Formats: sequence, structure tokens, C-alpha cells
Amino acid sequence: MIRIERRLAQPRWLTVAVPLGSLVVAFGVMTLVLLATGHAPGHTFSRLIDTGFGSKAALNETLISATPLLFTGLCAAVAFRMQLFNIGGEGQLYAGAILGAGAGIALGNHTGWLSVPAMVVAGAVGGAALALVPGILRAFFSTNEIITSLMLNYVGALVVNYLIFDSESYWRDTSSATAKVFPQGKNLPDAASWPVAHSAGLYVPFGLLLGVVLAAVIWLLYTRTRFGFEVQVIGDSPRAATYAGMRTRRKILAVMALSGAIAGIGGASQDGDFRHTLDPRGLTAAGYGYAGIVIAALARYNPFAVCLISFLLGGLQNAGFALQGADFPSGLVGVMQGVILFCVLGGEVLTRYRVRFSRTARRSEATA
Amino acid sequence: MTAAVELRDITKRFPGVVANDGVHFEAAEGEVHALLGENGAGKSTLSNILTGLYRPDAGEILLSGKPVSFASPREALEAGIGMVHQHFRLVPPFTVAENVILGDHRGEGKKFLVHPRRIERRVAELGERYRIAVDPRARIWQLSIGEQQRVEILKALYREARILILDEPTAVLTPQEAESLFETLRVMADEGRTIIFISHKLHEVKAVSDRVTVLRDGKTIDTVPTATATPRSLAALMVGREVSLSARVERALEVGEPVLEVSSLWAQGDRGGDALRGIDLTLHAGEILAIAGVAGNGQRELAETITGMRTPTRGEITLGGQRLRGGDAREAIRAGVAHVPEDRLHTGVAPSLSISSNVVLKSYRAGRVTRGPLLRLRAIRKHAAELITRYDVRGGGPDLPARQLSGGNLQKVVLAREFEGSPRVLVVASPTRGLDVAAIETVHRYLRQAAEGYVGVLLISEDLDEILALADRVAVMYEGAIVGERDAESATVEELGLLMAGATE
Amino acid sequence: MTLLAAGGINDSILVVVLASAVAYGTPLLYAALGELLAERSGVLNLGVEGMMLVGAVMGFWAVQRTDSLLLAIVVAAIAGGAMALIHAFLVVTLRANQIVSGLALTIFAGAAGLSSYLGNDLNVAGQPAKHSFGPFLPHSWQNAKVIGPILLAHSELVFASWVCVALVAVYLGRTRLGLNLRAVGESPAAADAMGINVVGYRYAHTIVGGAFAGVGGATFTLSITPQWVDGITGGAGWIAIALVIFAFWRPTLCLVGAYFFGAFSGIPFTFQARGILSGVPPELFQSLPYVMTVIVLVLVSSAGARRRLGAPAALGTPYVREER
Repeated sequence: MIRIERRLAQPRWLTVAVPLGSLVVAFGVMTLVLLATGHAPGHTFSRLIDTGFGSKAALNETLISATPLLFTGLCAAVAFRMQLFNIGGEGQLYAGAILGAGAGIALGNHTGWLSVPAMVVAGAVGGAALALVPGILRAFFSTNEIITSLMLNYVGALVVNYLIFDSESYWRDTSSATAKVFPQGKNLPDAASWPVAHSAGLYVPFGLLLGVVLAAVIWLLYTRTRFGFEVQVIGDSPRAATYAGMRTRRKILAVMALSGAIAGIGGASQDGDFRHTLDPRGLTAAGYGYAGIVIAALARYNPFAVCLISFLLGGLQNAGFALQGADFPSGLVGVMQGVILFCVLGGEVLTRYRVRFSRTARRSEATA
Repeated sequence: MTAAVELRDITKRFPGVVANDGVHFEAAEGEVHALLGENGAGKSTLSNILTGLYRPDAGEILLSGKPVSFASPREALEAGIGMVHQHFRLVPPFTVAENVILGDHRGEGKKFLVHPRRIERRVAELGERYRIAVDPRARIWQLSIGEQQRVEILKALYREARILILDEPTAVLTPQEAESLFETLRVMADEGRTIIFISHKLHEVKAVSDRVTVLRDGKTIDTVPTATATPRSLAALMVGREVSLSARVERALEVGEPVLEVSSLWAQGDRGGDALRGIDLTLHAGEILAIAGVAGNGQRELAETITGMRTPTRGEITLGGQRLRGGDAREAIRAGVAHVPEDRLHTGVAPSLSISSNVVLKSYRAGRVTRGPLLRLRAIRKHAAELITRYDVRGGGPDLPARQLSGGNLQKVVLAREFEGSPRVLVVASPTRGLDVAAIETVHRYLRQAAEGYVGVLLISEDLDEILALADRVAVMYEGAIVGERDAESATVEELGLLMAGATE
Repeated sequence: MTLLAAGGINDSILVVVLASAVAYGTPLLYAALGELLAERSGVLNLGVEGMMLVGAVMGFWAVQRTDSLLLAIVVAAIAGGAMALIHAFLVVTLRANQIVSGLALTIFAGAAGLSSYLGNDLNVAGQPAKHSFGPFLPHSWQNAKVIGPILLAHSELVFASWVCVALVAVYLGRTRLGLNLRAVGESPAAADAMGINVVGYRYAHTIVGGAFAGVGGATFTLSITPQWVDGITGGAGWIAIALVIFAFWRPTLCLVGAYFFGAFSGIPFTFQARGILSGVPPELFQSLPYVMTVIVLVLVSSAGARRRLGAPAALGTPYVREER
């Protein structure tokens, strides 16, 4: 008889062994899926790894892919840690991109390199503002933040589309004749281009560095400060938090704002680091926000793990995008992410419970 | 004569504890057999095994001499074993009738469609016969706790249970209701049913049972006929040593100034409606004022309102002369109100966080443990280690997650934290629920010490024995109001019981 | 602009909008009924969007291969149910966090995942469905005043959805199994103690919920726009989840809610076709369903927050019998 018992203590080695084991299982499942659908697993995997990490050029592309994921991953981790399921990272990123591009366009030609921090701030404000909508609704009206934040993703996408495709907005490029017919965003002034760190053939975007610093700050905030302590308690037991006199509502607003701000900076980074314009098609097709949720869940909401996993997943995204074509299954990236997540989720049961095999309780004996 | 039910050599383990260790137990037809033991002795586990909720790791169950094995509660039910749980297994939004028929396979239950009328009639019949009438159409959440318990009994009777197990049934009843229950049990036993009565209360066991089996630390100690046992002998078996029973310790009472004054306090309950209706009380420094009453009469809401977890709709709370706004736990904490809540695991601590974290749950903003916005983690840990030693908390060090502590040790952590704040008022709700005798003695000692230190103690409890042993004054709550106050020294159980049941003065 | 146009009442804005409300609301209704059943058993399944998409693509593929619409619906249901099985296994047996697992299912099966993968591998994009569900009652009925377009000019899927609403309502309210289900969702400990198989009910209803979602998704590819496009459901799965809350977990209110939201999906096209409010950007109309969802949710939650009207009490928490 198989029994599942709750574990008393969690041995240290388990916290590493289980996720690794889950990854192994995930790759096993993916192999089966590929085989079942007529693709060669070994070939597919090796192409993925090559295109993702196999060369300096590949690594540079991967760093580019990883940057937005780092932001949305941190966005989700920051909120989920307190059991606030902010699914709106996608929309908050768009909001940050909108305000960030606006700041870049407005200030780039006048204030030189200062426009970069201005974009960062603008992005943060945009993301935070959008995130405060589900935040306020949750804090004051007890409305489920999952659905509200998610709905705003769709609204956000529509706004971004509107600004470029269906209006003569500030963000739209109206300079040339072609631009009037084929809508596109204004190019950001050169001064609003974010710097790139360059060393031994590797190009590290400013946004990525900023993201890593943010990760460290968040780690410090959550493990060493009073703010973080309150987040821990509220996440573990809202009733205990109320009992202890903690200001739960304020925390909800603060954490949502922080979470949205991070995603918003990610949006500004998209403008400043890579696209140099407000690019609705590119942003909405990418699905950074949702990938961020996967990353946060895999990282168990630890900011440093988010850095690592967004790098790995960035490689995967990069490879998936670069390899798109007739002979490479599309949608594979989503499938892989899903399978990995399933396996890790399933594996978690082993950290909380122990599987025991025991014989049934009855002793067979002659009747008394 | 073969016993109606027999448990031989039953062993059941959980992670970290052996709940039942080779237990022997048998009960005859037509008998009311008490299963006595202190909290943690293994009584509930045994009954859960008998009703198919748990499977034993070793041992046998025999019904009328035949070995049986239950893979699920359904099989136990079909074998004629019914149980009235301590925490009712009822579905709150359903009616009485729906709860009674739930999962039933015979008769009405067999039908695909549910016909409420027929079930309601049968439920009414049974209620009449055993004098435990309830309105079959009422929804569970509308019923009082005593009435809910009757529904549990009706469920078992509806299924024609031959063996009925009751787990601590009088915990939620007034003394008079308990008497009435005992009569009902006698009627059922006289019909030939077997009643197993689980309790840790000696006088009840003496009052209702024919035989008593005593459990201690998961083992069977002895089975004795009730007639020849005395409370003293039973207590000795239960605890394994000589125990002084319900000793009322006389204290040199020097009651000080009023430290907490509540006037005309009203507050709403969770489901709308008024939970508190004009409460007036005064608590003095150094005094232990007990609030007695059956659960569900507003005691929890009273504790929550005084400690700021609930907002009053009318009335005033004054602490040491300072009027509290109310509805703000932080304000109450700052004013010197300490609170040991009823639900120690889910409200009193953050269960997954370490003991260190829980020790500073309320004081984490104090200068002592912070450096600017940062926490001084090492200082916190050291402080926690100190408290663990001083209050003799067993089970692990400062890094242990709070949920892994046993009930008694968890309560010690909570008390340690609350006392650290140098409170003026200590509100404790059901502080010894689920604790073993040693832990109960310890908690009582701490409460007396607090009173000696001129803290005003507000003791909310459903246990009249505890109240009479500890308190200086007793106020009884009924339906959200205080219906009577007595000096604890001169109060009697009967008097208090009547007040608890709503009898007006 | 008048509500009643010159061409007869059946051409009026009101009637057209209501008719399209029924049409667009049908996939929402199926998905919401399914999610309602799962949630009544205590399992929150946020993977509805993913399940709908997989049902949509598999149903489409089936009709292209077999020319049988009936078989297509069956395949869609099975596909949705299979996806739900993953979630059920993770949350009921392995006791994973229900929210994260549902999101994982959406990512796995959704617009950049399995549904897209299958859409590509099975070569079903860019072609119209060989057969599709459409209005089939006699024309005279379909043209009847007012009720014709609104109630009668619909496909079998719409009528079947009404039958499903009735069946689910009777199931929940009047049958023994429905009673047991409600007990499992409210109070699994009580249900278990009374001998009901909590695990079995949760699995069964989660899987059935997935099957309904699959059919809901297939409504898009076999009826509304009989074609497969990546991500064709456009967030309908999420609206369905909100719909269950809006309907207080009652099937009949699901019907009302589905058509309410369906109306908002239909309005952009109708207004645009009529040149109504043409100065207003289309995105404004397109955002209406989502904004309405938020507004409705706020209204429902703040009243319900006090009284917890309707949410199955055990929703979202795993049930463990031997947990001490």
C-alpha cells in the first residue's frame, strides 16, 4: 500500500535535488512528446542548446532575450511571495513601455543621457500605476487580483495598439510619407538609447545589469528588512498579520506597486535597450509577462534564482525564435515551459510529503 | 459473551509520534463505556481508526467476534458504527435533512433524485423519540452548537448505528444540556446499542458510564467498572501520578485600579447580525476575570474587539484611562493589550515561520531588534533562544517552524511573546484547549503569575472547572450580552450553567 | 441613429446585438459550466483558456479529417478533458498549488504552447472548416419577429448549451450525486466522514470541466469563425472564470452572464458594420468585455466579501484525510 505522509522536517539536500530531478523528468517527457509527434529529440535539443548558448553571438542574443524575462520574473516573484497573484506583468510591462518611450521621446533631445534614468522612472511609474488598479480593488474591495490584473493585460495590449495603429498619438511616427500609410512608432532619439557594457565579445545590456541589481535589492528587502518581514507574515498567515497589528492593506498596495514598477522598468528597457521605439506588435507577441510567471514559480520566488532561470529560459526563447520555421515545431517553447513547470510542481510533493510503502495492518490468524 | 466491539493490539504512528501503541479495548452491547485520557493520550486516534478514517499500522478490529477491516469511512458506516465528532462533520450551508442523508445508500439515499419531504419526516420522528428534536429544514449555520451536535447524533441514528462513538461531546454544552445528553445516551444503550463515550472529564465519566477504559501515552492502562472507581483513582490512572484535583489556589488578592473598561460595546459578527450587544465590564489590575459561556455566544468576537481585530459599531473601550479608537490591533498592542488567541496555530503565530520570527511578531519594529529599516537577525535569534530556555519550550531551536511544535509548547511561545511586551491587560481565549495536564498546569501558573504582577487577566474559557480554579470573578455571556456576574469563590456550577443557557436572573 | 431601423424590427440594433450575444456567449457558457462543476468540487482550474484552445484545434482537426461534426465535438471534449486530467493529477493527488498549476496549464496548452504546436503539426491553419455548425431551423422560424434571430437562428451547439444548463442545474439541485458534490466542495471532511469519495468526485468533475471547456473552444473553430487561428479564443477562457464568480456558482446565472459578456464581444462588429460611432477607435469597443469583467467582479466581490455568497468553502485547498 502506498501512503503519503507529511514530512516533519525538510532536509536541505531535497531543496536542490527535487527541482533537478524534476528537470530530468521534464526532459524525459519532452523527449516522448517530440518522438510522438515525429521530431527527433536529440537533434531538437542540440539545436536548441546551440542556438541558445553555443557561441558568443548566441549568448548575446540570449542576454537580450533574458532581460525582459528577468524583469517580469521579478515582478511575479515579488508579488507571489505574499500570495498576491499578480498575473498582470504583461500589461504592466506595456504601460512601462508606453511611459518610458514617451519620456525618451520627450527628453532625449534635450537632456542627453539623463533621459535614460528618466525612462527608468517613467517605466516604473507606468507599471506601478497599472498594478495599483488590481491592488486597490483587492485591498479595499476584496476583489480577486488574478482576474482583474489579467483583464488589464488585454486592455493594455489594446491601448498600445491604439497608440500606434489607430491614432495620431505622440508615439506615432508621422514624419515620412510611408509612415503615414504604414503605422509605426517614433524612433527614440539616440541619447535615449540605453548604454551597453562590452567585454570580451559579450554585450550586456544596461537593462540586464539594472535587473540584477534590482534582484539583489529585492532579496535584501525581503529577507532583512521590516517590510520584508511583514510580507513574509502576511504571505504565510493573513490572520496572524492582522492579529499582530500589521497594516495589510498598505502592504498589498506597496507590493503591487513594486511588482508593477519592476515590470514597467522591463517595458522601458524594451524601448531603451532593444527596440528604440514603441513596438506594439513585438511586445504583444512576445508574452514576456506570462513567461515571467513561469520563471517565478520555478525559482520558488527567490530573486537570485529568478536571475539564473531567466537566463536559461531566455536561451530557450531565443533558440525557439531563431529556429522558427517549417522544420521546427512552433509552440514548442510554451510546451517545454509547461512541461518543466508541471514536473517541478509535481516534484514539490516530495519536499512536503514522504512516500511510504507499507503492508496492510491486518495480521491473519486463526479465530479466537 | 462476545463483545460488541473489540480492538486488539492497535498501533498507529504519525510522523514523530506513536498515537496508539498496542491498545486493547472492548465494549459490550447495551453498555455505555467511557474512554478516558488526557489530551494527547490517543483517544481521538483510536476512534478515527474505529470509524475507518485512519488505518491502523498493526492490530485487529472485531465486531461481535468477527474480524473486520475498514478501507474507508463508508465501510465503517455500513458496519453500523456511527460517530459524533468533536469538530462536527457537517456541511454548513446544507439543511439538517441534507446533512443526515449525505452519502447514505439505503432507502431515500438510493434514489437518484432527492425528495426532501420524506427525509424531513423521518428526522423529525427520530428527534421526537430520543428527545433531540431539531428543525429538519434549518440550515446548519443557523443552529446553535448544541443543536448541531444533535444533528450529528441524528445522522448516526438515521443510519441505525449499533455502535455510537461520541468524542468529547460536552465541550460545547451547558451543564444542563449535558445532563439531557446523558439521558438520551442511556435510552439508546437500553435499546441494546453500544455507546463509547470519549472524555477527559472525570465527573462526566462517573455520571454516565458503566465501565471506564483509561488511556495514557497511547497505551491502555486499565479498564474498571465505574461504580467502584473514584475521581481520584481515575485521575491517578490518567496521569500516572497523584494529582490534586481542581485545586483552587487562594491568592492574596490585592486588586488595583481598573485597567480595562468596556461600556455598551456592540459589534457585528461575521455573518451580519450583532455578535456583541451592549457589553459592560471592568477589569482591574491584578485580577482574573473569567468570561464563561458556551462557544458561539460572542466570546470570540469580544476578544477580537477588545484586542483591535474587530471594529466595534457602538460603545467604548478604555485602557488605563485612555480611550481606544477600536478596530486597530496595533493601537491595542501599543496601549498594552496582550492577546493569546483561541486559534493559536493560525492566528497566534505564522505557522511556517521560525520561532525567532514569531517571537518578534509584534515587536519587530522596536529599536532593540532593528537598525534603521533593517532587522538585526542575530539579535532576534538570540532573544528567541533565551525565551525558549526561560519558558522551557521543547521541540527544537529558534529556527524551528512554529507549526512543528506541539500544542503545549506552541502555547508557551505565544505566552512568552505576549509577556515580553509588559502588558497591562492579557486577553486569553481557551488557553488550555487540547493541552495535556502538565501543559495545563504550566499555563495556569503563568496566568496566576501575570495576575500577581498586576496584569489584568481576561480569561475566556468554555471549561467551568478551569474558570472556577483560576478566576476571581466570573461573568457569563449569552447571545452577545453579559447575563450575570459572580464571585468565583461562591459561584456554583449549577448557577453558572443556568446563566450559560440563558436563564435570566 | 435609432434603435429601431427602417428595415424591420429584426434588423434593429437591439435585436442584432442580442442575437450576437447568444452566439458569442455560447463558448463562454460551455466553459463556465465546466469550470463551475470543477469549482463546486473544490478545484480551481485556471487553465480554461488552454483547455479551450486545445479543444478548438483538435475539434477542427477532427472535422477536417473525418467530415463528422459530431465526432469533432467528441474529440474536442476528450482533448479538453485530457488537459484537465493533468491539472487534476497535480492538485488532487500531488497537492500542488492550484493557482500555479492552472497557470502552468494555460502556458502549456495555450496560445504559444500545445495548441499552437498541434495547429502547426496537424496543418490545420489557413483553411476553412469543411463543415460547421450553423442555424438550421426553417427560415420562417428564423425570421420570426424578435425571437427568430435571438432565439431560433442558432446552431445545434447553442441549443445543446441550453440543455446543458438545465441538466447541470438539475444535477446540482436535485440529485444525490449533486448533493454529494456540493458537500465535497463545501466540507470535504464531512463528505469523507459520510463515506463519499472526495478524490473521485474532484477528479471526475475537473475532467468533465475540461471537456466542457474543450467544447466551448470548438465552438469558435466549428461555428463562430469556422477556422483555426492561433489563440482564437482571445481570452474567453479567463472571462469564463470570472463568469462563474459573477454567477455565484449557479448554472442559470451562468447563462445570463455568458450572454451579457457575449453582447460586449459582439458590439464592436455590429457597430462597425453599421458605421455607428465610427469616430471611436475599435480598441475601445474591444476592451469592453474585459473592463466589464473587472467592474462586475468588483460589484460581486464587495457584497459577497461579507457573506461569502456561494463560493464553495473548500475551493482551492487540497483535502488530506490523515493530516493531523
